Amino acid sequence: MKAEAVEAVIRGLKRAGVSVASYLPESLMKELYPALDADPDIRTIPVTNEGEGAAIAAGVFLSGKRAVLVMENSGIRAAAEPLARVGLGAGIPVVMIMSYRGELGEANWWAIPHGITMEPMLDALRTPYRIVREVAEIEQAIVDAYRWSYARYHHSAVVLGGSVVR
Amino acid sequence: MKRYDCMKALAPLLKDELVILSLGASVDEWYNAAPHMREASLFQQQLGCVTPEAFGLAVGLPHRRIVSLDTDGGLLFNLGILATLANEQPQNLFVVVWDNKKYLSAGGHRTHTEKGVVDLAAMARGAGIEDAYSATSLEEFEAHCRAGLTATRPYLVVAHVEGAETLDLKRKPSDGREDKYVFVRHVEQSEGVLIMGPSEKN
Repeated sequence: MKAEAVEAVIRGLKRAGVSVASYLPESLMKELYPALDADPDIRTIPVTNEGEGAAIAAGVFLSGKRAVLVMENSGIRAAAEPLARVGLGAGIPVVMIMSYRGELGEANWWAIPHGITMEPMLDALRTPYRIVREVAEIEQAIVDAYRWSYARYHHSAVVLGGSVVR
Repeated sequence: MKRYDCMKALAPLLKDELVILSLGASVDEWYNAAPHMREASLFQQQLGCVTPEAFGLAVGLPHRRIVSLDTDGGLLFNLGILATLANEQPQNLFVVVWDNKKYLSAGGHRTHTEKGVVDLAAMARGAGIEDAYSATSLEEFEAHCRAGLTATRPYLVVAHVEGAETLDLKRKPSDGREDKYVFVRHVEQSEGVLIMGPSEKN
């Protein structure tokens, strides 16, 4: 992930008022995680699985602070259980930023399932998303995700793909 | 000991705390055991995300005591939160695990604690939560509640309660969405913040 993409993500999070980031690190955005850790305005919480990260982010919402869940797109599978309960059940939103593993251009066989399952999983969870492949669009996509999630009180996602993460 | 009696012991110790609780019969039990905490309690139907959600709330409100009322089945669903709590060391989180050794609301099927070989408190200590204890009597449980509500590092008590309870309690009439609104409005009012605000003007 290029430095300008990392900076755009953090700019977007700050414009959206985010002060807590839960994450399970992965490789496509590996430069993002230490940058989040180093940012004095963002409290990072590494988690053991994405479902735990989703539930933590939901709890942060209830406090009035804003959180983000950062993960590989495979994480939507692990996070689906708490996301369904807190979102579809109670109307507590979780905004996610995920890397797009398995899109066209993917050269790793093990990552193909992540691409195949991501969009159906997001659709099943009634979670709108924007796939961003240009650095210039990252910041606004994050701001837009928060605006939508705080109007609907449901999850939304920004998926970083293409040259943004490769 | 009975879970409902434990709840009635915990309830009078609470005033300004916020509570997140698990699913099944414990919802109606807490609704009746702590009527003064209804607005300050998030009644959910969740398995595996009660304590993580309570931790997120504790992160967002570090000056406020947060209480998680979790269950054996719920904690076993996501044991990773124990490691996360140990690493993050929240100073304002008290976790109660009601261990009745059953998925009671699902018909009383046994959980992994039923055989007596799985020790949730020991697992929590192994994860790095030093203040993790088991309580088998009401006196023990109440003492742990008093300690946990003033602790400055994560505190967890596993309450070993009877498996089958047939209480004729008033049912909580609201759903999870209404409960969320009530809880959020309580947090807004008590914290002086706006969480779910008005829409923008066109």
